[in-house]
Amino acid sequence: MSEDILLELSNVTTVYGRNKMLLDVSLQVPNGKCACLLGSNGSGKSTLIKAVMGLVKIVEGTIRFDGKDITGQRTYRAVRKGISIVPEGKRIFPKMTVLENLRMGAFTEKKQNEIQNRFEQVFEHFPRLKDRSHQIAGTLSGGEQSMLAIGRGLMSDPKMIIFDEPSLGLAPVLVQQTFEIIHRINESGVTIFLVEQNAHLSLSISDVGYFLQKGKIIAGGTTEELKASDFIQAAYFG
Amino acid sequence: MGTEAVIIQILLNGFMLGVQYALIAVGFTLFFGVLDIINFSHGDVFMLGAFVGLTLINLFTKLGWMGGGIYPLTLFMIFFFCMLITGFLGILFERFAVKPVSESPPLMSLLATLGLAIAIREAVRLFYPMGSESKRFPELLAPIFAGTSKAFEIKGVLLRYDTLLIFGIGVAVIIVVSLYINKTMIGLGIRAVAQDSEAAMMMGVNRDMVVDVTFFIGSALAGLTGILNGLFYNTVIFDMGAMAAVIGFSAAVIGGLGNIYGAIIGGFVFALTQAFSAAFIPRGSEYMDVVAFGVLIIFLVFKPSGILGEKMHERV
Ligand SMILES: Nc1ncnc2c1ncn2[C@@H]1O[C@H](COP(=O)(O)OP(=O)(O)OP(=O)(O)O)[C@@H](O)[C@H]1O
Ligand SMILES: [Mg+2]
Repeated sequence: MSEDILLELSNVTTVYGRNKMLLDVSLQVPNGKCACLLGSNGSGKSTLIKAVMGLVKIVEGTIRFDGKDITGQRTYRAVRKGISIVPEGKRIFPKMTVLENLRMGAFTEKKQNEIQNRFEQVFEHFPRLKDRSHQIAGTLSGGEQSMLAIGRGLMSDPKMIIFDEPSLGLAPVLVQQTFEIIHRINESGVTIFLVEQNAHLSLSISDVGYFLQKGKIIAGGTTEELKASDFIQAAYFG
Repeated sequence: MGTEAVIIQILLNGFMLGVQYALIAVGFTLFFGVLDIINFSHGDVFMLGAFVGLTLINLFTKLGWMGGGIYPLTLFMIFFFCMLITGFLGILFERFAVKPVSESPPLMSLLATLGLAIAIREAVRLFYPMGSESKRFPELLAPIFAGTSKAFEIKGVLLRYDTLLIFGIGVAVIIVVSLYINKTMIGLGIRAVAQDSEAAMMMGVNRDMVVDVTFFIGSALAGLTGILNGLFYNTVIFDMGAMAAVIGFSAAVIGGLGNIYGAIIGGFVFALTQAFSAAFIPRGSEYMDVVAFGVLIIFLVFKPSGILGEKMHERV
């Protein structure tokens, strides 16, 4: 494996009870780049993310992150190695304040001054959150909640952030803004693994992409290759 | 006694019991928040606390530590070791009876904890010396005030010195626990798991550790309450946990299951209802439980989410 691959799945198969969900999935997320995973509802995208986070049962294959085997590892260990996630449906803690939610994002960090710096960084990205830092998160607007989820994902100063359908339920303007933010985070040096249904927008900010269908990778490559492929054109941009 | 004295007496009794109910209810509410279970063995951990306390007192009496200059330290050790032992037993019980059925339907964990409750109760009855008889629980502050009287007086109401112990320790522990849950990182982790356990794990919370800490805290509080209850009634018995579990659980429901402050308020509401109905309803001491559980039913019908709870709403 070359050094500039941060996350690598090799022939991964997972199960829910007796049903296999992911079948022999292999993909690579290059270091410092943005990779996207595209696929329709129920194709297994979130399952793939959960496999990386150690939240579903892996029956075959290996997952490596930053040169280390993390297959089936406990979730908090994966987080400590530098993986952060902005989960599907945001999953903020509704009864905590904005500040406490952000603090949760840096749960594995012990140094107080480091945590303070990260609060400042997040507030630079999202000044709105600073104004609302003592508000109960469940009372934020949908757009604000999605800023909070992204801010929380930044708090651990991760090597890689996974975004699971960040555009879900957002108005078109906000979708555009969210993708711009993701792009900016990527440019600041953080590797992005973006899970989406919106192929067009996702490929516009990605370096590589994969297509998942019924638990299998059916196509993958650089953005240029994918855009040039007749098959993808027909299926996703036709 | 004048009416003022009567009211003071009622309030004091109510608060004294309220502290105890609150401490038990906090455990129920913590277990429910973190693991979504109703832990029926909790009452018997409370009973174990009383017997562990009694055993420690007997041990320290043999060692001659129940008096003299060492006595304050002895007192501290009684409470400290009781909480430590019941706390670790709580973790053990969770691993033994709750974790193995965590993937099964909720009914299974209910049965498992009910079974555990009976096992603990029977173990004490069979293996504690003369375990089926009720045991006298000694007063703890009496040695300090030896020579003077066993009680002091406020506005015509006679109070035993141990009353101070029940109230002082109970309130102090409630404050410490709510600060712990609200101000520390582990407390934040506990609240995160209670709100969304998978999201908490994604943030790097070690869920198993949170479950252990939760069971330690909840069980240690119940154990401590066992001693306080012994001091209050001057007697303990192997089946005292059954009623304590029902009352503690009811208090947690009245306050709003899953909410710590709710559990505390619920404990006091239940106890004050009991105390006032015992005093003001003819033959009230026979009917106080009827009235108190009546209040519970009123809550179940008109405000099932409890005084401060929201979680039940989300569930329905
Ligand atoms: N805990 C589970 N137990 C059993 N089956 C599950 C579980 N979670 C997901 N599945 C099933 O696995 C399949 C893939 O689900 P997954 O959430 O990975 O899809 P997805 O690609 O993320 O879809 P979406 O775009 O709608 O989020 C679905 O058919 C789903 O019903
Ligand atoms: Mg999904």
